Amino acid sequence: MLFKLAWRNLWRNRRRTFITMGSVLLAASIAIFMRSIQEGTYENMIRNMVQFHTGYIQVHQKGFWDEQTLDHSFEDNPLIHKAVADEQHISAMVPRVETFALASSGPVSKFSMVVGMDPEEESKLTGLENKMVKGSYLTKDSRGILVAEGLAKKLNLDVGDDLILLGQGYHAATAYGLYPIEGIVHYGSPDLNTRLIFMTISEAQVYTRADNRLTAFALNLSNPQRMDQVVKNLQTKIDTSEYEVMDWVDMAPELSQFVESDRAGGILVMGILYMIIAFGMFGTVLMMVAERQYEFGVLVAIGMKRSRLAFIMLIETVTMSILGVLAGAFISLPFVIYFHYFPIQFGEEFAKAYEEFGIEAVIPTMIDPGIFVNQAFVILIFALIVSIYPMWKIWRMEPIQAMRG
Amino acid sequence: MKTFKIILQSIVLVFLLGSTNIWAQDAKEIIHEAEKRQRGVKSMEADVTMTIVRPSWQREMSMTLWSEGTEYSLIVVKTPARDKGMANLKRGKEVWTWMPRIERSIKLPPSMMSQSWMGSDFTNDDLVREFSLTNDYDHTLLGEEVVEGRACWKIELIPTEDAAVVWGKVLLWIDKAEYLTMKGEYYDEDDELVNVMQGSEVKEMDGRLFVTKMTISPVDKEGHQTIMQFTKVKFDLDIPDTYFTVQYMKRIRG
Repeated sequence: MLFKLAWRNLWRNRRRTFITMGSVLLAASIAIFMRSIQEGTYENMIRNMVQFHTGYIQVHQKGFWDEQTLDHSFEDNPLIHKAVADEQHISAMVPRVETFALASSGPVSKFSMVVGMDPEEESKLTGLENKMVKGSYLTKDSRGILVAEGLAKKLNLDVGDDLILLGQGYHAATAYGLYPIEGIVHYGSPDLNTRLIFMTISEAQVYTRADNRLTAFALNLSNPQRMDQVVKNLQTKIDTSEYEVMDWVDMAPELSQFVESDRAGGILVMGILYMIIAFGMFGTVLMMVAERQYEFGVLVAIGMKRSRLAFIMLIETVTMSILGVLAGAFISLPFVIYFHYFPIQFGEEFAKAYEEFGIEAVIPTMIDPGIFVNQAFVILIFALIVSIYPMWKIWRMEPIQAMRG
Repeated sequence: MKTFKIILQSIVLVFLLGSTNIWAQDAKEIIHEAEKRQRGVKSMEADVTMTIVRPSWQREMSMTLWSEGTEYSLIVVKTPARDKGMANLKRGKEVWTWMPRIERSIKLPPSMMSQSWMGSDFTNDDLVREFSLTNDYDHTLLGEEVVEGRACWKIELIPTEDAAVVWGKVLLWIDKAEYLTMKGEYYDEDDELVNVMQGSEVKEMDGRLFVTKMTISPVDKEGHQTIMQFTKVKFDLDIPDTYFTVQYMKRIRG
């Protein structure tokens, strides 16, 4: 009976209902879109760094991370393979020999990071082969190297040219060599794009004179949310007096700190947005109550219980809010999906500033059902809080005065 | 009475100021003399064995070194075989590296200067850094100590404000008889001891007394050391200027 009344009330004045629903809809879709952009930007930054390069977790010789030299390398150990194989959520593990080197074309020299890797396995982890923009990808027997686009540009070298590498090898050996460039790879992260050089692991071991030694195993996760648990499990299974197991938060603290602090700032902005949204919703409800003063007065005067009337009002606002939130989520979905695949690109000037901070100059969205549910929920709560007003108004209404208007 | 007090105070003051001045002058002169004797060496040819000591391993390299004044030097690796022929050339503030296996040379960029030199506890910068111990520092004589059986002055060097030096403070022990630098302690800006250089085995080489063994120990890395042992030294030879060129560096084979 009461539900029927509420439903009829809603349809009695469609325009009013749609305006109220519209304000909820707008609020919900803006909130969802904002959050998706925020989280999408973080996700992109982390992916650029983590999925495309470091992996979520790495295993090194103990002490490697503090002093990243070949002297902290280790020989491949079946126990590590076993520990990793036993663990769920790990989707890939690749061996690496990583070392800093001076990359030189002769006249121009730049500081670089040489990554010795297994071409086939590495591509499974980071999709390295998909990052090729020129030349051919390495095979197991390649003697050549892949150079990141930005670095090649700085050195003024191209596919087919030779590159000189000079650095520190294993146990104070001097590492140097001349390598033909077989391909150019592109990285979104400007930092990686101006630093990375790839060669096969065996070539890197010859270069650094670290026979059969590795500096790291990089691990990727099928479910990144389980990272902490996986790290903990690995730490119990792998001898931590000899090896260290680190996640990307430990390896790139500046990145995770940036995301954390920016997220905190984002919450503040969202708070302000919520306030604006709430007042917008409150405004429409205020209008509605003023409009229906007479109606309420009549109903109470002819014996309608105030509690019942208030309950009808509650049903009305909840219905409008839920419909508004659903419609809002529905409308924002195509936008979120579109900007996920076609992220907003910055203008050239802006892009440069961004790249100087080592951030790729795009704003993609993140498609996360969690964001939809959370934001819809927050907006719904606002709608309910706002609906207290008409109920309160009904409660202390004087029917005579209300009817006089 | 009052005048007398003032006069007395002035005398004490003058005496105190005077005395510190005299000491400071002395310290400066000692450093100046030591530096002059080192730099008095016009040119030098030396065979050096460098031992890099690490907690779990050590590595020995032998090399030949030529130098002329403080401007030019050339170091060529003789052993181990795999590094034979590798050379470092210093021309003023530039350092060039010759890589014999690939027959290429490159000039080290500034970003490489703070890196370890050949895996040792020296940095590339240590090879080229140019400063004057006499002019870039203020000197204080702290006292006298015996180092390696030789009586030494212990002198504190604090860099002058505009001096472009890396250390916040340097302590040097200078031998009183021959002005040899027997020991050095190098502190950073926070007054933390960073490196200790210990000289030993003073021998007569080609007619001069020479500290033939130098040990560098970084303080924060236990078990790390680099030992430079001079096995043969010749002074004041006529080294042709062409020695200190990139072209020549490519020709010598260790």
